[in-house]
Amino acid sequence: MNQNTASKGKVKRFTKMFIYAHWIYAAAFFLLLLTGLPLFANSFHWVYAVFGGPDMTQIFHRIFAVIFVIPPIMLLLFDRKSLFHWLKEVLTWKPKDIKFFFMFPKEFLVGNPDMPKQGFYNPGEKLNSCMQIVSFFALVFSGLVLWFPEAFPVSVVQWSNLIHVVAFIMATTVVIGHIFLSAFHPNSKPSMEGITKGEISVDYAKHHHGEWYDELVEKGEVVEEDSKGA
Amino acid sequence: MTTYSKLVDVTVCTGCRACMVACKNWNDLPVETQAYSGGYQSHEKPTGKTWNVLQMKEHETANGGFEWLYRHSACYHCADAACEKVCPEGAITYGEFGSVDIDQEACVGCSYCVYNCPFDIVELADYVTEDGDVRQRAQKCTLCEDRLQEGLQPSCVDTCPLDAIVFGEREEMLKLAEERLEKAKQFFPNAQIYNPPGVGGTKMFYVLADKPSVYGLPENPEVPTSAVLWKDIAQPAGKALLGVTMMGVLTGYVTNKLFNKGEHHEEGGEVDESKHG
Ligand code: HEM
Ligand code: SF4
Repeated sequence: MNQNTASKGKVKRFTKMFIYAHWIYAAAFFLLLLTGLPLFANSFHWVYAVFGGPDMTQIFHRIFAVIFVIPPIMLLLFDRKSLFHWLKEVLTWKPKDIKFFFMFPKEFLVGNPDMPKQGFYNPGEKLNSCMQIVSFFALVFSGLVLWFPEAFPVSVVQWSNLIHVVAFIMATTVVIGHIFLSAFHPNSKPSMEGITKGEISVDYAKHHHGEWYDELVEKGEVVEEDSKGA
Repeated sequence: MTTYSKLVDVTVCTGCRACMVACKNWNDLPVETQAYSGGYQSHEKPTGKTWNVLQMKEHETANGGFEWLYRHSACYHCADAACEKVCPEGAITYGEFGSVDIDQEACVGCSYCVYNCPFDIVELADYVTEDGDVRQRAQKCTLCEDRLQEGLQPSCVDTCPLDAIVFGEREEMLKLAEERLEKAKQFFPNAQIYNPPGVGGTKMFYVLADKPSVYGLPENPEVPTSAVLWKDIAQPAGKALLGVTMMGVLTGYVTNKLFNKGEHHEEGGEVDESKHG
């Protein structure tokens, strides 16, 4: 992709630690999903062969589970600023966020030039994060119960089976959308740079995170330039 | 279709434990040593290595007297078995003689069945696979399916010297249970048949001398509600949802390729709406 003529410069979006946390989480999630799926659908039985049999697959699921909980702890210990900024941004909802969701289907399918101005995260990203936070805790707690069932009353184990499956479906649904939008959707694809290199183009910030862009301009971190009309 | 049942009339059992020995013997089950519990009972409950246990309960009667309550306990072979419902591998099936069978070669040792059995019967235990590996696999009473196939009775049934355990066509067993109940009531006013409907009835069912709870049995065992929601709703709905989501993003991918001429961060061009609609 040749870089755009209008967007001079980049703007910092994520710290190194935040980026590591994101990708460790993503890798652990994917591997947990993979090692869990053969118990959910027979069409994933081939996974057993990949991990050396069903028993090994279950052991791997537990190893990945430990890795899965590291990223939030990592952020809590070493990059509290990014963690709390993320939490604050994704947990703050405004009435106008509704509007985004009405306009989103068109954006999703063919692009919608009239999308309203967004903050650091748009409501779709916020929803993605919120649902991931809920499913994270649901998966970790139900997973722990399934890992150490002797330590819990039988009914708790039984409900954990259900919770684990519901949470993994919820999380995976969200992740499918998240991956599509960040890696395959032409309009939002450029956002990938943010979570790989830590920076995105000023131009992208302006058009997709207008409110955040305005803040940056106000703070003098970005020099306003009349790049193009949108 | 004829189905079969094992009737256990605990009111005539004398606690000789021949059924336990016969089971261990026929099924080649290993020795299982447990700490002495202070009573006559050998093991606390059936396990993956000890498929039936003779429960010996010291019971105080209504008028202050003492009596032994004996009970042959083993897999109940539920007609609507929770273990069969939750098994992700289809390793648990219903056999032609009314048994609930576990195929240890198909089992992956997830232990879902262990924690969903309303009677706490199924357990993982060492199993030598066809490849010669020792693995933790779900095990329990098979109703001696292998013997039934050969026209024999289950080994516990064959062995019981008092006909406290009998096996036959279910209709006949149900009739026999009523007859046995009449007799039992002469000595045990609370005597009753235990064939719980919450699990579709059990293919191993009792004539009990007293209320189920006296024996430590659940009064109304059921397939856990969570298991029904999990397997009948969450799993199929989840598969559908994941499928629809995949289709959704694929659609999005294609429609964007075809129609999205909107944004041009790469080229820095103007928004072009001419292609929309
Ligand atoms: C701390 C995190 C987690 C722990 C401790 C955990 C633990 C477990 C355990 C113990 C099981 C039962 C099967 C077995 O013994 O291997 C299980 C099943 C499963 N897990 Fe996890 N898990 C965790 C996170 C996840 C995540 C993030 C996903 C996917 C996104 C996932 C997907 C699954 C699936 C699909 C199953 C099979 C469910 C079924 O039976 O249909 N798990 N997990
Ligand atoms: S332990 Fe084996 S038999 Fe039991 S549910 Fe899991 S796969 Fe099925």
